[in-house]
Amino acid sequence: MSAQPGTSTEVKWQKVLYERQPFPDNYVDQRFLEELRKNVHARKYRFWAVVFESGVVVQQLCSVCVFVVIWWYMDEGLLAPHWLLGTGLASSLIGYILFDLIDGGEGRRKSGRTRWADLKSALVFITFTYGFSPILKTLTESVSTDTIYAMSVFMLLGHLVFFDYGANAAIVSSTLSLNMAIFASVCLASRLPRSLHAFIMVTFAIQIFALWPMLQKKLKAHTPCSYVGVTLLFAFSALGGLLSISLVGAVLFALLLVAISCLCPFYLIRLQLFKENIHGPWDEAEIKEDLSRFLN
Amino acid sequence: MENEQSFSDICGGRLALQRRYYSPSCREFCLSSPRLSLRSLTVVTSTVWLAAYGLFTVCENSVVLSAAIFITLLGLLGYLHFVKIDQETLLIIDSLGIQMTSSYASGKESTTFIEMDKVKDVIINEAIYMQKVIYYLCILLKDPVEPHEISQVVPVFQSAKPRLDCLIEVYRSCQEILAHQKAPSTSPQAHQKAPSTSPSIQKASIVSRGK
Amino acid sequence: MVSFGDPGMVLKAFFPTCCAAADSGLLVGRWVPEQSSAVVLAVVHFPFIPSQVKEFLAQVQQTSQVGVAVLGTWCHRRQEPEDNLGHFLEGLSAIFSHEPWLQLCREKGSTFWSCKATRWQGSTSPGAPSEDQVMIVFYDQRKVLLSQLHPPAILPDQETGDAAAGAVGLAAVFHTVARSEVLFRSDRFDEGPVRLSHWQSDGVEASILVELAKWASGPICLLLASLLSLVSAVSACWLFKLWPLPFIWSKLSTCEQLRYRLEQLTLIFSPQKAENPSQRMRKANMCVSVLLDVALGLTLLSWLHGKGRIEQLADALVPVADRVAEELQHLLQWLMGAPAGLKMNRALDQVLGRFFLYHIHLWISYIHLMSPFIERIVWHVGLSACLGLTVSLSILSDIIALLTFHIYCFYVYGARLYCLKICGLSSLWRLFRGKKWNVLRQRVDSCSYDLDQLFIGTLLFTILVFLLPTTALYYLVFTLLRLLVITVQGLIHLLVDLINSLPLYALGLRLCRPYRLAAGVKFRVLEQEAGRPLRLLMQINPLSYGRVVHTYRLPRYGCHPTHSWGSLCRKLFFGELIYPWRQREDKQD
Repeated sequence: MSAQPGTSTEVKWQKVLYERQPFPDNYVDQRFLEELRKNVHARKYRFWAVVFESGVVVQQLCSVCVFVVIWWYMDEGLLAPHWLLGTGLASSLIGYILFDLIDGGEGRRKSGRTRWADLKSALVFITFTYGFSPILKTLTESVSTDTIYAMSVFMLLGHLVFFDYGANAAIVSSTLSLNMAIFASVCLASRLPRSLHAFIMVTFAIQIFALWPMLQKKLKAHTPCSYVGVTLLFAFSALGGLLSISLVGAVLFALLLVAISCLCPFYLIRLQLFKENIHGPWDEAEIKEDLSRFLN
Repeated sequence: MENEQSFSDICGGRLALQRRYYSPSCREFCLSSPRLSLRSLTVVTSTVWLAAYGLFTVCENSVVLSAAIFITLLGLLGYLHFVKIDQETLLIIDSLGIQMTSSYASGKESTTFIEMDKVKDVIINEAIYMQKVIYYLCILLKDPVEPHEISQVVPVFQSAKPRLDCLIEVYRSCQEILAHQKAPSTSPQAHQKAPSTSPSIQKASIVSRGK
Repeated sequence: MVSFGDPGMVLKAFFPTCCAAADSGLLVGRWVPEQSSAVVLAVVHFPFIPSQVKEFLAQVQQTSQVGVAVLGTWCHRRQEPEDNLGHFLEGLSAIFSHEPWLQLCREKGSTFWSCKATRWQGSTSPGAPSEDQVMIVFYDQRKVLLSQLHPPAILPDQETGDAAAGAVGLAAVFHTVARSEVLFRSDRFDEGPVRLSHWQSDGVEASILVELAKWASGPICLLLASLLSLVSAVSACWLFKLWPLPFIWSKLSTCEQLRYRLEQLTLIFSPQKAENPSQRMRKANMCVSVLLDVALGLTLLSWLHGKGRIEQLADALVPVADRVAEELQHLLQWLMGAPAGLKMNRALDQVLGRFFLYHIHLWISYIHLMSPFIERIVWHVGLSACLGLTVSLSILSDIIALLTFHIYCFYVYGARLYCLKICGLSSLWRLFRGKKWNVLRQRVDSCSYDLDQLFIGTLLFTILVFLLPTTALYYLVFTLLRLLVITVQGLIHLLVDLINSLPLYALGLRLCRPYRLAAGVKFRVLEQEAGRPLRLLMQINPLSYGRVVHTYRLPRYGCHPTHSWGSLCRKLFFGELIYPWRQREDKQD
């Protein structure tokens, strides 16, 4: 069934499969490439906007850094647990008041969460942590320190990987990320000299890994300027803390922060120019309509 | 009337087929495979004993040696009594039945007799055996409830596994007797139907999973 | 060579070997027209009066319900050929008309016989007699009479006229011979009107004893049956059905065994007669099994009571229990001190170890409290051996279960703890990943948890993960101990089962009288001579031992391993409790 286009010039080729046509199966005519389109979904980024958005990553890195630095101080005995407890409680209270002040109680009304529930949660945290702290103290006695360090590093890395930075991806799981951070903090706390240390360390971990990102998110949404300030302040304090432990570590961490907040956005915008994404009728069909109503 | 003919089995080994025609209504086919060769027996025994001796030099325990002797003896007895079949006999008696006998090397005989009114037919069938397709003679049994159905397929010469030429010989003789049996029941006046000369090799895909 | 007969089949004459030496006479037997076979049962000797023979045959036919008739003549030429006898025999066919008329003849000093089967009707040319092709099949009358074909072709309790009509093929021959037992009652020394030659039993004297036993067995059975019913009535009393007792009974293998034996004995001594051979065989098997059991038990009893072995045993028992407890203590101490460099949690390890040590301490004091009574207990247990070896074995199994009760306790504690941990870990792992088990859809769904739920869940998860090795080790060690005990008990139960269910009578019958249990027949072609009829010897093909056991195995009382190895391993991994076979069966019921 070889086709002779010469004899059937008046027959126009149609892009359909359900009609018998005098063309070979793989035939296409000149109109085919007319439908080619490029970079349909490409977006234009502005440099400072990207830098602003990268603040979340910087913040999270700094949180981990601050946590490790504080743990190191506690482990060395340079930081009294009472002091940390006091500071933590004070900052939590300030943060709690700020949390409501920023949006004028809008979020609280929306979620319908009462202050009594907050108090209950806080009580649950403190009672359970305090109750379990003796167990935590003896939990990893027989396990070697290197294993614990390796486990903690692994868990903190996991926390950074799975954290919800605002991207819409399958890998993101804020639950898993928070759990990994708590696991790491429990592991590290169990190496501390006394059970009070362990209790305060775990409390601090909750503050910095669970409560602090919530406040950040609100800050970022309502007062972007103060958010930038807070981020810078936090980054510098983390750097300072690290500097007091190790110079090399501080330099490396500073480089990492700079790379993430300035270099990566720069490259993102540069590389955007080379984007060559083609679309056309050969793409597989995409279902645009929301089909969730068929599910029930 | 008795004659002997030599055939080969599916692996190329020698088989002797003895035919005894006692009377027109009674025939016997006897397939004998070669006896246990002294050489293979010696090889196996000496291998086991050498291995045992090797083990003995390593662990210096004489229990190993006696165990090896014991095991070889027991193995030989078991092989002769349960595995090695020297002779397989098919006795077909008109209007009485078909009898299959296998004689083991130790002298043990196991016999199965199938009455003629249970026999539907005797055919040559094909089967996949290891990596090849072989032919085998088998007896089809009638289903007691529905006489047109086949309830069971009984293979004959299961251990000797002769080739097709040998099977055809046996098959023809069997069919002669079966035809003589069937003839009067279909038409009382027809005395003897001409025996079918060409064996109807039934193409049934019965897959035997090894032995 | 071609038959000119109406049925084209070869005529088969089944001739009893015991009549081969008989004097000349008439062949008496049954004609099976479907297979054109003549089953000769006996030979009637000269002299006889034809009317008496006919009367006798009618009598036999009435009692046995088998169509016995005169089939032909038998001629045994011992001296010179007597022509007049030949003519006389020919003439008999006119008196006893039968179709076809058989004429068997044995020459003097010759092993080859001649045989003629003559038909007067239905031949191609009316008037002239036609001859059939004949095949002689010799059979041993006694063996065929006594043997029982497997599987039974048709139940012989059809009371319609000719009962053998239902049986087909060779079963008909067997049936005919078995039915005409009446014919064989008369023996050689009887001076009846008709002299017969057939198989005769030799053991007349022994049969008197058998008759006596039969006569006496009725009242004895009645007496024993009433006794047994009394026992079962007592055991069914309401006092034994109060709440905790049935539970305990079901857990003790001794009670199960006793109940089983009681059922068997009730069946054996039940006054009603066994209806068919398989029931009779079952009764006999039970009887032999009980007898062997009791015999073994009595042997054990005599061994125990000789040379003060009971005292020795009782003296050895307490130290053994002590020793076991001591070994367990050592094991626990080893477990408490970080065995094999395992990463155990020291605090939990100490707690668990002390808990178990305290249990062993309790156990030892219990044993020492018991020790003065041990000898008496063992003596009484030994006495139970007269009820049978199986009963004492069951008691042994129960004693093992009681003596290793502490191991069972440890196992249960370990398993419960381990199970709790595994379950907790699996659900907390789901929480850790932000998932949960959806009960309605039977699958894992994602779920958003609250902050405090997440925190407490993860805290518990961390703690459980680090405590798991300690619990798992304790669980593993005690499970191994428990499995050891279960294996020993399982072996004892297997032995009991073997004694209970092995059909010993059938096996003995197969060993000593192989022809009694027939799987079928086999034929041997006897020596041939051209022109003479084919001679075959029919022998009984005995049932193989495997089939005997399979056919006659007595029912067991539920000791099948209901769980496969895979499910057992799964249960062990998830810390579910495993029980020995019997109790598992009970749980299913």
